[in-house]
Amino acid sequence: MSEAPVKGEIRIERITKKFGDTVAVDDVSFEIPGGEFFSMLGPSGCGKTTTLRMIAGFEDPTAGRIVLEGKDVSFVRPAKRNVNMVFQAYGLFPHMTVAQNVAFGPKIKKVPKAEIAERVEEALATVRMDALADRRPAHLSGGQQQRVALARALVNRPAALLLDEPLGALDLKLRKEMQLELKRIHATTGTTFVYVTHDQEEALTMSQRIAVMKDGLVQQVATPRELYERPANAFVAGFIGTSNVLTVRSDSVRDGLVVMDLGDGDRICAPDTGAGSGGETKIIVRPERMRVWGDPDGEGMSRVHGTIAEVVYLGSMTQLIIDLKTGERVTVHELNDDLKGALPRTGDPVVVQWAAESSFVIDDTAAVNVAADLKSPG
Amino acid sequence: MESTAPPVSEGRHLRARVVRTLRPAAFLTGPMAVLALFFLAPLIILLIMSFRYESLYGFQTGWTLDNFRALFTDPIYRGVAKDTLIIASTAMVCQLLVAFPLSYFIAFKAGRWELPLLLLLVLVDELNPIVRIYAWRMLLGREGLINDFLIWTGIIDVPLDWLLFTKFSVILVLSTSWVNYCALPIYASMKAIKPSLFEAATDLGAGWITRWRRILIPLAAPGIFVAIILVYIPLFTDFATPGLVGGTSSYMLGNSVADLMVVIGDWGAGSALSLLMLAAMAVVAVIAYFLTKLNQLD
Repeated sequence: MSEAPVKGEIRIERITKKFGDTVAVDDVSFEIPGGEFFSMLGPSGCGKTTTLRMIAGFEDPTAGRIVLEGKDVSFVRPAKRNVNMVFQAYGLFPHMTVAQNVAFGPKIKKVPKAEIAERVEEALATVRMDALADRRPAHLSGGQQQRVALARALVNRPAALLLDEPLGALDLKLRKEMQLELKRIHATTGTTFVYVTHDQEEALTMSQRIAVMKDGLVQQVATPRELYERPANAFVAGFIGTSNVLTVRSDSVRDGLVVMDLGDGDRICAPDTGAGSGGETKIIVRPERMRVWGDPDGEGMSRVHGTIAEVVYLGSMTQLIIDLKTGERVTVHELNDDLKGALPRTGDPVVVQWAAESSFVIDDTAAVNVAADLKSPG
Repeated sequence: MESTAPPVSEGRHLRARVVRTLRPAAFLTGPMAVLALFFLAPLIILLIMSFRYESLYGFQTGWTLDNFRALFTDPIYRGVAKDTLIIASTAMVCQLLVAFPLSYFIAFKAGRWELPLLLLLVLVDELNPIVRIYAWRMLLGREGLINDFLIWTGIIDVPLDWLLFTKFSVILVLSTSWVNYCALPIYASMKAIKPSLFEAATDLGAGWITRWRRILIPLAAPGIFVAIILVYIPLFTDFATPGLVGGTSSYMLGNSVADLMVVIGDWGAGSALSLLMLAAMAVVAVIAYFLTKLNQLD
């Protein structure tokens, strides 16, 4: 096999993992270019952790292969793979100091003593833990322990760093802090980061690209922005951010738009996907794309009357829950900056408007294992 | 409703406090009395007897250090003490060599067999020691199963006679006694080790030898020390095993005490030896205790 090694590149090629009769990971493929911050996102049991553990070498794939820097490592022992893992429970050795913990890897790899000291110091400085090098893990806070776990992995200078929900045990404030810290460390080291999380906000904050997984299948691999603005299916749309799902009946088609006539000048316009007159499609509109105040009426605008069911004032914006006359309930985010006059109240009649290009049609038959059309190996 | 609390008399406060302090103690009075009567009292009698002398027919009695002096000067006791130390220590090491991997297996590898195996371990070990020792005799004797088997297979022509009534047989039988007391504390300290530590070590390049040496053994050390406290003392003071499977080379201090007291009837010397052994074991316990403390993770 003549594959040019690319630093930190990981290729997952049609990986399947079965535990008994349960398929944890189902024919999954994706590529992670060297140096990328890549996340696997999905609800628990979606196969993201299993995939990560296969990259680390703790699980053997049932089928398919894992290529690390151009080398097939599918069945290479974890110790012999140039990747390191950061565990959710940190996995720090309680009987060793911070420095001893970090030195563990290089010591086993028989790195010369002077170099070990140098590298440990450097790794601890990277995670800003150099001042506490002589502490035992029990004397550190959760965030500090996580930093040590990071240093212990980074000190080995791995081709890729694998992170298994590393911030899961931290409280919200600390988690936000560590998210930015991880981004900084990623930028400093240039190492490939493969990050597993079930927290969509965390994935969006940190990742360059995200693989959204469900039931062992990859739903979509894309940048955070693509995932949010062009989700491949209803699951991705629902998992990433809040979304309003509306059913559109095609009453007429004009200018490439499907129009559903609701009377009283009310209408819903959606991009035409060729479903034809009388067909039904589902569209998704993000809450911040819908307008309640302001008057942006015009061609191609959807407008539907509704009643306010709930008003939640959130400081910079207001969240409105609105029952449309179609019987559907939508969430609308309006910036308070644009508000003239008083906040609307529950029960007030309103007109919800949005531009047709703010909505997108979802097709639930497509887009699982999006990258699975790779040539089969060999 | 009054907003201020009604005044409570000092007396009621005091009584409540006394009751609160004394109630747990009251629960202990029963057990404490039993212990004092049946454990502490004989110990005190032993202590008194070890410093007493009594001439034949009890015409003269008084206090003396002769009992202890004899133990320290008589070369026989020195030899017995040395043999006891060798036998007990070897058996202790053998027990640890068996109990440690066994605990590891039960704690990390047994899966759903964990509890059944633990119960089995306790059951097997709680078998009446006399029954167990006789079982060993049937295995190890000149016409025992092992010799019969070896002759039948043609490996040997003449039965091995060092299998029974030797130091070997005593060490072998002692090595298999109290294995549960040895394994359970080690198992308990291993259960406290998060399996993710082994994964982390593997991830950092450690093979199984490194994992055992650098992670498992240091973290299981407190359990090992407790096991030593629990097992070394009965091993050191045992007299049933050397009595039943031992020979002249495996006469232990426990046998000396038994013989002094029961056969010779020299209660003074027997008491003195018992107390010395008690003191020696107290030293072992204190050392093991401090080793545990030293190893404790704060």
